[in-house]
Amino acid sequence: MNKILKLALILFMISAIVAGVLGVVNELTKDRIWEINNQKTIEAFALVLPADSYTEVDFDKVAYPAVDNVNKADGGEGYVVQETVSGAQGMITLVVGVDSDYRCSGISIIEHSETSGLGANAASSSEIGQNFRAQFIGEDENIALTKAGGNIDALAGATITSRAVTSAVATAIQVAKSVA
Amino acid sequence: MLTSIVSISLGAILTNNFIFSQFLGCCPFLGCSSKVDTATGMGLAVVFVMGLASAICWVIDTYILVPLGLAFLETLVFILVIAALVQFVEMFLKKSVPSLYSALGIYLPLITTNCAVLGVVLLNVQNNYNFLEAVVYGITGGLGFMLAIVLFASVRERIQFADYPENFEGFSICLISAGLVALAFMGFSGMKIV
Amino acid sequence: MNIKKQFVEGLTTNNPVLVQQIGMCATMAITTTLFNGVGMGLSVLIILTCCNVVVSAIRKIIPDEIRLAIFVVVIAGFVTIVDLLLQAFIPALSEALGVFIPLIVVNCIIIGRAEAFCQKNPVGASFFDGIFQGLGYTCVLILMCVFREFFGSGRFGGGLIDVANGFRFTLDGTGSGIQIFPSDYGASILNLPFGGFITLGLLLAVMQYALKKSAKKKELAERAAAEAAALAEKEADE
Repeated sequence: MNKILKLALILFMISAIVAGVLGVVNELTKDRIWEINNQKTIEAFALVLPADSYTEVDFDKVAYPAVDNVNKADGGEGYVVQETVSGAQGMITLVVGVDSDYRCSGISIIEHSETSGLGANAASSSEIGQNFRAQFIGEDENIALTKAGGNIDALAGATITSRAVTSAVATAIQVAKSVA
Repeated sequence: MLTSIVSISLGAILTNNFIFSQFLGCCPFLGCSSKVDTATGMGLAVVFVMGLASAICWVIDTYILVPLGLAFLETLVFILVIAALVQFVEMFLKKSVPSLYSALGIYLPLITTNCAVLGVVLLNVQNNYNFLEAVVYGITGGLGFMLAIVLFASVRERIQFADYPENFEGFSICLISAGLVALAFMGFSGMKIV
Repeated sequence: MNIKKQFVEGLTTNNPVLVQQIGMCATMAITTTLFNGVGMGLSVLIILTCCNVVVSAIRKIIPDEIRLAIFVVVIAGFVTIVDLLLQAFIPALSEALGVFIPLIVVNCIIIGRAEAFCQKNPVGASFFDGIFQGLGYTCVLILMCVFREFFGSGRFGGGLIDVANGFRFTLDGTGSGIQIFPSDYGASILNLPFGGFITLGLLLAVMQYALKKSAKKKELAERAAAEAAALAEKEADE
């Protein structure tokens, strides 16, 4: 019994030391990580629907489970909707701008884990990515992929990612209408 | 609710199969797939441990780590929980269900370093799953692993009789055939619920 | 243990991926762009070296029964430190590698080296073992990235090199890489999981070929030397 106690104590002490070190590192990096994540969201908001500031508004979380938050652009010129939807490989977090006519004013993908070179193009700063995202501007809630009779061209080899983004845009417009 | 459960299950078993699309758990996948029997044993053990680990780690994360602001300790705590869990499961099975122990026993210690197990609990946190979703993801992820390893073991049993260039011997030919199975699994990626 | 021998072992004859055949999950999963490959390789190199040094330093005071648990705690500690630092300073890399950074904890390379090498060797040798095994791992990742990127999308150095405004290295992962041929002609299937399995399988076959060839050469040389010696002996007898 004594032996087991001694072993447990040693393991506990080493764990405590490691946890202590991690605490220090976390303390040092915490603010920077928070700032980076925050900065990304602010930039994305400004990109999809520029405004001086945004006010979060309430919405029906039960009817729109994928929506994270809905923000009214100050001045009454539309909404910015942040959503988390499932893509081909994992969750995609994106923000969608909805203008005062309830048309999409732009999208920006904040986080994703799609396949590099295929689905990841949806978020990339390359020409393919920019062209893909530009297609959504001006679309209304009946938006669909070309295959389904709409006018959004899916990314080559990434139909699922494209479909996820397209339906996220439709949801964003619907939720914006519901809070108006 | 139901749709999210169904879509998580289908995703974990087929479209986002842990091995063929996320590459989680490749070491035991290649190491324990030479016979269908061993593959089934390993698969069952993984389903069991992944389900349990998902549940326990979710509770620890939601009620202890996050409220205390200790989310940065997740990796450390999770791996310790998994290691301890595997030990307990082994002791429990040995005492109370010897028949199951004799079937799964030798695979249990190997599971601690199976990255699918640590992967599933980390993904539960990353995807913000609730308790039910986390448990379902754990169990179905394990089932996906089992499906993959059993299918692949039957492929491997046939490779033994195949004629291939000698330099491809061992893991090399296995990886290439695993690639072909992965290609077949890509066919599922068109499926989607909602 | 001399350093030169450790260097050769890490890179070729005892390469962690190609010869010991461990740590393959991440190898296949993230080798889609050079940026990911180099980032992952260097992260593992740093973690491996730190863990090797610590494990080797405390090898005499840890009880044998719980050594694996202690290794895991030490490894998880370093992995979390690297994870936090990446999130703070190279967020693009931390995003691209995602869950595979925390999963370095269960990468068999690190616990394998702790168990097989550092337990029995002094700090200095363990340090170099970490560096060289890490380098060997990085080289394999880079090889796979270059192959998959070139044939998959006709590019070289995606994320790491930018040629739009003159040649420069981008550490934030935004560089578009050097386009060698239009990506439409690439076999984009290599970017998918299938490509990971196939590429590593081919690489293993090439390695086995090379090792066999060098072993045969050695054997032939030894036999020739033995024959020559026998001949010389015979002549001396006569």
